[in-house]
Amino acid sequence: MAASVTRPALSSLCKINSNINGIYSLTSFSRRISISSVLSTSAVTTETEAAGRGVRGQRRSKRQAGEPRTERMTVDQDWTAVYPTAASFKPSAVPLPVRMGYPVKRGVPPAKKGNLELIKIPNFLHLTPVAIKKHCEALKQFCTEWPSALDSDEKCVKHFPIQVQSKEFVSAGLSLRNPDVRIVTLKVKLSSLNLDDHARKKMIKLSEERYCKDTDTLTITTDSCPLRQQNYDYAMYLLTVLYHESWKTEAWEQEKTRADMEEYEWEDSPSQKKVLDTLLRMRALGAKDEVEEGTREELLGQPAVQEYRDTMLRLKNEGETEENLQQYKEAVKKLFNI
Amino acid sequence: MFTVIRSKEAVLQALASTVNRDPTASDYRFQDDPYLTPKTSSEFKLFSLSQESGRNAAKYFISTYPKYFQKDYAQPHIPCLMPETLEAQIEEVSEAALIERIQMRKVKAAVDLYDQLQQAGTPVSLDVTNQLLDLICFYGDCDPAQENVPEQRNEETEDVQDEPQTKKGRASKASDKLKAAWKENNNAERIFALLSEPNTHSYSALIRGMVKYGAYSKAFSTYTDLLNNQLKADVSTFNALITAAPEVKEKYNEKWELIVDLLKQMAEQKVKPNLLTLNAVLKALRRCGTVGKSQAFPVISEMRALSIDPSLASYNHLLSIFYKPGAPFQGQTDILQEVMNEVSGKSFTPQDPDDAQFFITAVRICLDTKDIEQAYRVHELLGVGENWRLLGNDFQQNIYHARFFSLLCMMENIDVVLKWYRDLVPSVYYPSSNVMRDLLQALDTDNRLDLIPQIWKDLKQLGHGNRQTLVEELLTLMAREKQNQEVQETFAECALDIKKMYDTGDRGKVMMSWTAGSLSDLVSVLLAAQRRQDAWEILKLFKTHNRVPSEELLDKFLTCIKESGDVNQALELVQISAGFCLPGTPKLIQRVQQEFLLSEQQKSMLSDLEIQTFNSD
Repeated sequence: MAASVTRPALSSLCKINSNINGIYSLTSFSRRISISSVLSTSAVTTETEAAGRGVRGQRRSKRQAGEPRTERMTVDQDWTAVYPTAASFKPSAVPLPVRMGYPVKRGVPPAKKGNLELIKIPNFLHLTPVAIKKHCEALKQFCTEWPSALDSDEKCVKHFPIQVQSKEFVSAGLSLRNPDVRIVTLKVKLSSLNLDDHARKKMIKLSEERYCKDTDTLTITTDSCPLRQQNYDYAMYLLTVLYHESWKTEAWEQEKTRADMEEYEWEDSPSQKKVLDTLLRMRALGAKDEVEEGTREELLGQPAVQEYRDTMLRLKNEGETEENLQQYKEAVKKLFNI
Repeated sequence: MFTVIRSKEAVLQALASTVNRDPTASDYRFQDDPYLTPKTSSEFKLFSLSQESGRNAAKYFISTYPKYFQKDYAQPHIPCLMPETLEAQIEEVSEAALIERIQMRKVKAAVDLYDQLQQAGTPVSLDVTNQLLDLICFYGDCDPAQENVPEQRNEETEDVQDEPQTKKGRASKASDKLKAAWKENNNAERIFALLSEPNTHSYSALIRGMVKYGAYSKAFSTYTDLLNNQLKADVSTFNALITAAPEVKEKYNEKWELIVDLLKQMAEQKVKPNLLTLNAVLKALRRCGTVGKSQAFPVISEMRALSIDPSLASYNHLLSIFYKPGAPFQGQTDILQEVMNEVSGKSFTPQDPDDAQFFITAVRICLDTKDIEQAYRVHELLGVGENWRLLGNDFQQNIYHARFFSLLCMMENIDVVLKWYRDLVPSVYYPSSNVMRDLLQALDTDNRLDLIPQIWKDLKQLGHGNRQTLVEELLTLMAREKQNQEVQETFAECALDIKKMYDTGDRGKVMMSWTAGSLSDLVSVLLAAQRRQDAWEILKLFKTHNRVPSEELLDKFLTCIKESGDVNQALELVQISAGFCLPGTPKLIQRVQQEFLLSEQQKSMLSDLEIQTFNSD
């Protein structure tokens, strides 16, 4: 309707403009008119569309999110009811203004709403001290009484020297089973076992890295069998075998060389020989060479030599410290009467 | 080394007993996110139904294409997640095939197979035939609707409104199930007739089926057949007959005598009554009028003597006998108290389908007798042990909470009401507009009108923001008295928010229409908050919506304009008044002339108007 009106106007304008401006202005003018005609028709269509919209309800407004439930939480609420089990972080249920993430370009760490970093990490919102107290109270009915005779740690270690540890896993997933549940760790102090010197040394040698020198504990971890019971039996078997084997002395153990020794022995060591040599040489200036067993013992029995022996043992076995070196210096001085 | 645990779930149950309800969270079924939790009762229904239908659709697919779902991921094995066989496996005509079809609840297929077996001449054992009779009588000779077929499309998502509507909804569901009435000479009777020596079980199945599907007199005649054959009936037969007794006789006395007769026969045949017998008798007594009232307690004491403890269903029937809905109560309030004394502190397990009616009936009685103490006891009982299971489905829960909350609004002061409101809404209960109106009345009674903007926010969330009566009542309450400054400010904000609800009609929703009353209330609220500009806009709406403002309103407006001293606005006001041809226009004109400083032009305009109005009179 609008277009039909403009058409005769356009034709009349054609005649006017063609003389003055040429085709360029004519096309621009016609374009403007065509745009206006488009606009007018679109105005008509929007009217009909709006009426139709009201009737049919085509275009739906977006659903609004409600307010987060942190607004309605009271200060003295029961938190164990909000997070009873392990659950991921829910920003609408945790009323704390936490922020997490890298602050980009002089900004601040992002807020908690929609923050993936907070959801990724494990949280312990379900294990507040109140919750743990409640759980312990509830689980007491499954526990047996602690024996009253075992009231101190020492007594426990004395009566039960072997400690066995194993883990239980609870998870909700496709499978309830966890393969790590079969692992059994057995810990025992060698001091509580009946071992003599040779047996102890052999046991330590046999167990290699399972023995910890600082705590004198032998730790056996078994996970080669599929069931926990089997692993436990295997660990006990290993302990028994180790014990019995360390008491036995094999024929080839006689070939133990100086390099196999665990600790430094002064007898038959190069150091002893050197000291003897030196002392004899010192003596030999006075008396003629009479190297006998008796003089040897006599020489070794001297207190200076004993002291030297002690400091040497200390140095080699315990390592070099200021104190040890001082004592060595003193012993050497005494030996040579400096 | 390892401690022995009583059952596999004992530890988990012990830990679960430490967890209480969270008053801000919605139902456990839904995702805990502000966008995804339902805010209105229709949303609640929609979301829960859509969850169920999704689950059903998934089960349907698994069962229809079982070959794609054979791999078992779950350790240990979960049988209910594997595809279930829908079709019978055994094809040949044999007794084992019949048993299989009975177990799969395929009524028609089982009956056909039985006929085939009969024709082939293979004898079918009495046990299997009894099972078949049980199947037919339970399902009324038609196949049960398959669970996997999505049949939820029939549910309409409408708001749960007043009680009459909801009762209608319930009745229609019940009648749907019992559409099949007991037909003459149907398969059950036919197969029964073919039996050479029907035993107690067969008679029992037949009688119970007849009673379930409405053939009461037939049931009694079958019973006489049983007696003639010198057989004894079992306890479920007697229960069915007692249920049918009120249908067969007309007068109260006759009904009761029939029941007593049946009970005597039961004693003669040395059949021990059970809990369902007690409940059947009490249910029948509901239909016996005054006889019921006198006989109810003796029945209970006799049953107690036989060590049958009443369940919640028995108490429900008892309450219904004494408190008929709609009847006036005279001195019967102590029965509810006695019942509550009996049941308080006990945890009940579901033993009878009518157990779920107890809480609703009890709270209805409390509402009718306005007994808040007993209502608290009923609510407390709900928290004991497993009793929450006996509250019924979502529908019945809604009714229960609606009645409880209305009673609270009526009887308690506003602090207690608000405490319960915050506890129950909207985590457990989405109130209807009637209940919200009760809440508004409670606010009014206790003079806490300053809480109205908060209630309005909740109303909008609950989806009641477009109910005309409710909104008009809100506006009236806000406009009635002048409050202090801050409260008035909040009122003004709330009022403008309400105005938005009238304007935007997105989604083609039911739009509210302005009335003269609501518009004037809105204007008064805005004027009281000194928002003259907004009020002026609203005043213009009077013309657009063809409503006439009252004289007091215009008077009030003039007073307000006088405080600011805007003469032009005063003149416009007078013109508006003249435009509506209000009888109070001359007074207005006089007021303007007296109170305002007018220029010559304005004075002349006024005098013209005056003459105009005189002429129109």
